[in-house]
Amino acid sequence: MNDFVIGYYALLIGGSCLAAYYQKRTPFLLLFSLTLASFIMGIIGGEGALWFVTIVAGIIALSAGTSYAFREFLSIVLPRDMARAIRTAPLTASFGIFVVMTYAIAGIFAPVIAPFGEAEVISSAFAPADETMLLGADQLGRDMFSRIIYGARNSVGIALLATFIAFFIGAIAGLMAATKGGWFDQIMGRIVDVVMSIPSIIFALLLLSIFGTSLTTLVIVIGIIYAPRVFRLARAVAGNIVVMDYIEAAKLRGEGTWYLIRKEILPNITAPLIAEFGLEFSFVFLLVAGLSFLGLGIQPPTADWGSMVRENATLVSFGEITPLIPAAAIALLTVAVNFVVDWMLYRSSGLKE
Amino acid sequence: MSESDANTSKKEMLLEIRGLRIEGYSDENWTEIVHGVDLDLHRGEILGLIGESGAGKSTIGLAAMGFTRDGCRISGGSIDFEGMDLTTASPDELASLRGAKIAYVAQSAAASFNPAHRLIDQHTEAPVHYRIKKRLESQEDAMELYHKLRLPNPKEIGFRYPHQVSGGQLQRAMTAMAMACRPDLIIFDEPTTALDVTTQIEVLAAIRDIVDQFNTAAIYITHDLAVVAQMADKIKVMLRGEEVEQAETAKMLEEPEEDYTKSLWSVRSYKRQQKPRPSGTTPVLSVQNVDASYGEIPVLQDVSFDIYAGMTVAVVGESGSGKSTTARCITGLLPPTSGKVLFNGEELPSDYKARSKDQLRQAQMIYQMADTALNPKVKISEIIGRPAYFYRGLRGAELKKRVDELLDLIELEPADYYNRYPPELSGGQKQRIGIARALAANPSFIICDEVTSALDQLVAEGILKLLDRLQKEFNLAYMFITHDLATVRSIADEVVVMRQGKIIEQGPKNEMFTPPHHPYTDLLLSSVPEMDPEWLTTVLEERGVDNIGEGALKKT
Repeated sequence: MNDFVIGYYALLIGGSCLAAYYQKRTPFLLLFSLTLASFIMGIIGGEGALWFVTIVAGIIALSAGTSYAFREFLSIVLPRDMARAIRTAPLTASFGIFVVMTYAIAGIFAPVIAPFGEAEVISSAFAPADETMLLGADQLGRDMFSRIIYGARNSVGIALLATFIAFFIGAIAGLMAATKGGWFDQIMGRIVDVVMSIPSIIFALLLLSIFGTSLTTLVIVIGIIYAPRVFRLARAVAGNIVVMDYIEAAKLRGEGTWYLIRKEILPNITAPLIAEFGLEFSFVFLLVAGLSFLGLGIQPPTADWGSMVRENATLVSFGEITPLIPAAAIALLTVAVNFVVDWMLYRSSGLKE
Repeated sequence: MSESDANTSKKEMLLEIRGLRIEGYSDENWTEIVHGVDLDLHRGEILGLIGESGAGKSTIGLAAMGFTRDGCRISGGSIDFEGMDLTTASPDELASLRGAKIAYVAQSAAASFNPAHRLIDQHTEAPVHYRIKKRLESQEDAMELYHKLRLPNPKEIGFRYPHQVSGGQLQRAMTAMAMACRPDLIIFDEPTTALDVTTQIEVLAAIRDIVDQFNTAAIYITHDLAVVAQMADKIKVMLRGEEVEQAETAKMLEEPEEDYTKSLWSVRSYKRQQKPRPSGTTPVLSVQNVDASYGEIPVLQDVSFDIYAGMTVAVVGESGSGKSTTARCITGLLPPTSGKVLFNGEELPSDYKARSKDQLRQAQMIYQMADTALNPKVKISEIIGRPAYFYRGLRGAELKKRVDELLDLIELEPADYYNRYPPELSGGQKQRIGIARALAANPSFIICDEVTSALDQLVAEGILKLLDRLQKEFNLAYMFITHDLATVRSIADEVVVMRQGKIIEQGPKNEMFTPPHHPYTDLLLSSVPEMDPEWLTTVLEERGVDNIGEGALKKT
């Protein structure tokens, strides 16, 4: 029994007692069940297991604290309407916004933040971390940290662009189909069915091996593969709007299809479309990473998280976690985006507790 | 007063609400919406709760079950139901009360029934859940109740799905469902508002009968005074979450004390002089021998009528009679299969897409539901300004001037409404914006599709007066679609009665409202509730208990 273990249990038990005394039901149950679980973990896993629990709890507490402070910060800085929306947002949402903003800053200011260039070889292969290289070197001796920062720019940028293309094609086609109906709707619907019936990664591999793997083709191919999902959503949501009396009134006024779409329908479906944008972005991002991992995505020497995982995969067998860092970057962004999307979906669906 | 006091004190007190305060959550603040209301209800007594929308009627009705809508909370007072305070009762205790001892009948039966289950399965749910009855026993009881509520084929109707029965039958089935556990208290929240007069009378008679038979207490919420006069023992008038006054029904109707109540009572007296047809002019709109069908099903047969400039033609009939379909034929949304529509003597292309911009401009439409007729994401200025820009090419300062002018016309202050969005407005204000949008096109003919039926009587009267003023000012022709004969009486010059896609009778208003009528017109007219509390009883005596509503027609 060393000081850490004693302190650990003392803190948990003390906390439980305080919570029980002040009749805080949920914190008490949480703390005390953690205490009981720690007894078992301590017996089986020894001090290491307790350290693990402490670190995980610390990370959660840190993120929660950051999110809380960030939310308060936003609600003070932003204009009134947005501030009100932010203040009622859950902590997960502000955590999501925080992470997305961090990625955006890393991507935009990559050349300033990264100490070395993305293709710059500065040491031997797989060199361990030292003062100049925060995360060590990759299989060619390039700085891992710099490549991750640049990766934010490349991977996220491409995913964003592809999602935009998917939305542009899908939303316009969907809105046209909903407004026009009839044969146009039928034809678009069947085309979409065909595209959706082929698994996306296989379809992407097929198209990329036919048209080559330049950045432009990559973005367009992914955009086309993901457009059908947007089409279906846009058509479904717009379908509910098209039957409204105000659309009938506009039609009877003699307005054209383009006016109907732009001025009457689009403002009413932006909320679900934005929420879908976040969700699609995550999928597109994972597809880009997956394609890079397979060697058909972003080509070397451009830094990209997907290919970085593949290139450094051998290190895992030596007990190093370096290749997992780009993977973690992907995971964190996906989770963060989904947190924000969840919140937006909640707001747009008008669900109130 | 002392006599009635002595009378009621003999009865057992069932529900006692004292100083009830309810708050609603909006803009991060709790604002009080019900300000300390008292309410007493004895066993077997019916209390009518009336007031315009937003008066807190439904909120109080729900609170009587110890329930508040999402975003509301009870902030003060007590609700005492059979000695149990519902404000402090636990969720479990409340759950065991609801359905078993207190039941609720909602406005829209169609929305309240689960479309995926048979009526009788939904009926037996509560008794089986509370273990009051076995399933089979409860089914037999349901058939008995269906019989008492005079539903056709009581043995069989329960095994249908909600979409297989008509609106009025559904509302009665819902009342039967509320009676399933023989509750002590039923809350009726505008149960007949969405129904036609002929159906309404059936439901009213059925409800009154069954409540009487089982000595159930009821709170009857409505904004229709004539309806509440038939149903209630006493009436409580509400305004903005406060009680205005309360009295026995007869006393309340004869000598209301407060000014607000008097204003409510006088609404129905608004009446306009009937105008004769202008001689020697062609009608603005002439519908000639129009037939129309939805796919294979014919909905209109040989419909013809004329509308002259400056006149209002009311098209009446129950739902499904083809009123709105006629409007769709005129606007060109549903091209007729035969017959033609003339506008100032010229034939209009049957499809709206083939009509010229000017032809479209001349005929405008005002919709029933202002909520769905105005785009919630478009500013008022844009909604009204668009037709002015679209048809006349006004822009900039000229357009703004025109919008201000239109807002003035509909009696809304331009500076206050210019930049607002439809959801920020009340129902009456929205309907006014709908009128302004129609006017913005400088039309000569406007179709008003049930424009007042979603509004309270006071607000509806304001809209009718506005429409009347505009008609005089711009010599507009109106086609007024409605099922409310009180509206017809107050605003129409000529009346067209429709039934099952055919015109039954048409002519000047005064002629139509004096006997002899066509039997169907007669049925419609005599089904409109009157302020006399004895009205329903008299009508029932005349028609016989089994032949109310449609049945009365088949007999003759």
